Amino acid sequence: MKPPGDEFYIGWQDRAPASTGRRLRWVVAGLIGSALVLGAILSLGQRTIGPGGFEFGRLRSFSGVFVSRPYPHLLVPRPGGVAAPGVETNSTYYLVAPWKFGLPEALAKKWDGHAVQLQGTLIYRRSQTMVEVVLDSLRAATNAAPAAGTGPDFAGAGFALGRHTLVGEIVDSKCFLGVMNPGQLAPHRACAIRCISGGVPPVLVVRSAEGGVFYVLLVSAQGEPVNQAVLAYVAEPVAITGELSRHGEWLELRADPATIRRVSAAQP
Amino acid sequence: MSGNYVAVQWNRQKRFYDGALVLGVTLYLFLFEVLNKVFFPLVTDEILLMRAFGTAALILLHVILCIGPLCRLHRGLLPLLYNRRHAGVTLFVLALAHAVLVVLTYHVGGDANPFVTILTGGGWAPSMVGVPFQALGFTALVILFLMAATSHDFWLANLTAPVWKALHMLVYVAYGLLVLHVSFGVLQAEVNPIYAGLLAMGGVVVVGLHWRAGRGEVAADRPAAGTVDAEGYVDAGPVADILEGRARVVCLTGERVAIFRYEGKVSAISNVCQHQNGPLGEGKIVYGCVTCPWHGYQYQPESGAAPPPFVERVPTFNVRVRGGRVWVHPRPNPPGTVVEPARWPEGGKP
Repeated sequence: MKPPGDEFYIGWQDRAPASTGRRLRWVVAGLIGSALVLGAILSLGQRTIGPGGFEFGRLRSFSGVFVSRPYPHLLVPRPGGVAAPGVETNSTYYLVAPWKFGLPEALAKKWDGHAVQLQGTLIYRRSQTMVEVVLDSLRAATNAAPAAGTGPDFAGAGFALGRHTLVGEIVDSKCFLGVMNPGQLAPHRACAIRCISGGVPPVLVVRSAEGGVFYVLLVSAQGEPVNQAVLAYVAEPVAITGELSRHGEWLELRADPATIRRVSAAQP
Repeated sequence: MSGNYVAVQWNRQKRFYDGALVLGVTLYLFLFEVLNKVFFPLVTDEILLMRAFGTAALILLHVILCIGPLCRLHRGLLPLLYNRRHAGVTLFVLALAHAVLVVLTYHVGGDANPFVTILTGGGWAPSMVGVPFQALGFTALVILFLMAATSHDFWLANLTAPVWKALHMLVYVAYGLLVLHVSFGVLQAEVNPIYAGLLAMGGVVVVGLHWRAGRGEVAADRPAAGTVDAEGYVDAGPVADILEGRARVVCLTGERVAIFRYEGKVSAISNVCQHQNGPLGEGKIVYGCVTCPWHGYQYQPESGAAPPPFVERVPTFNVRVRGGRVWVHPRPNPPGTVVEPARWPEGGKP
């Protein structure tokens, strides 16, 4: 290849030849412009950022009835105490510890069935809510003990919705609801496994053919936690067959973890 | 060059290119974050930054990989090559920022050692998401670190050129690992086909440019078919065809020889710069020395030795001018051997 004229660039000289300098300014501008276009494409093409959030740095006070099974949660009476038709009398706040842990078993046993108050950070995704509890803030309620209302809670059977086979992805509820957004699929798998192993309730995220998304709390056929049993299947497309029921804002699937099977895609 | 080492030989050009590099990276990160905050306000800040740094690093890696072959195809881009080292160090910093955020976000604060989980991912599973893509990224990061840490000429001189060159060729291993890291990682979640398309397009551009540049190198390595005289000198063509202060490159017995014409003289030295194997034959005589087009290393044409206090030396070749043609003996002299230049026009004053 012939040199461009007789100009010769030497990097250790203070100035480049004039024509080389002019050309390179355009090249550099083109590279930066191309990178910015790519940045816009890469930003706007994302599809996994969900409608969830985490009020990091903002503590709220909560009071309600503590229920330890299947996973620790707080039943908080809705304002007015009277449910509209089809609306539960209680809001359900699942309770988890900071970092990648569920609420300690000892605390759950101690407060099961008691009216409590606590401080924590709200985690939410649409109507599903969770609280990252400040552990030493959990104590017996000092105000009038809130009633659990008349609606069903997780200690009961809930509204039975029949036997179903659901295809979806197992995620940890804490990250998926909003602590990490996006908090699902392969990039999040290692974190989800640690969270579920640490006691955060596992949920099955199901995407319908119509584009809708719903999530189902996973418990054993006897209604017990299944954290360790589902670790091998986290973030993969799986099919689970069990008894579906509704508890407040939450769906629950009672299924034997041994029946979980991998499928080729999360779409039904 | 290699007389005294300084961290960075700053000059006006280097300040311009470093300024442009910092500006480009800053604008990219800023744009990525602003667009995310506007269109995806609920995105987690750590993941936003993780993606901003990761994509910036991947784009910069593609640019860096393309600079080499682009400069083989168009010498006007050589300033990018000269200033590539700082781009490589910037790439490592971006990749490190991405990795630190990944560890802090996904691996710290659980019931297992984060340094174990970064290597094992979530543990192997018989599916696409079961591939521990984090380990691929970690290995690439180690390579990028080794390259950034040894990028200075001090290490080139102390590791020796072959070791240094082999180490820095690992950038292609790092690139392959990162393509797999992205393919088995974020592309398993972000299934928008534009991402896979861009990654594939990047691969096609990188491979295509290397193939195109490599084809030219293979052609240059074809042995010269010139006549051989009784003493073994090979006819390397008319002297008049060589521009003043420039060279013609011929391949003799498997080695490229750069034949320079300058100030009524003709000298032949190895085409391979001792610094980073730059093509001396594409250089120019500047201040009486053959000057490498890649990084400006200089050699005296008669001896192949760098001017004092520098110590680099390349082999020289015996050369003659006869009948208006240059004849070169294909046997190299030891590096630094002084060879009397041939005269042009023939019979000119020594």
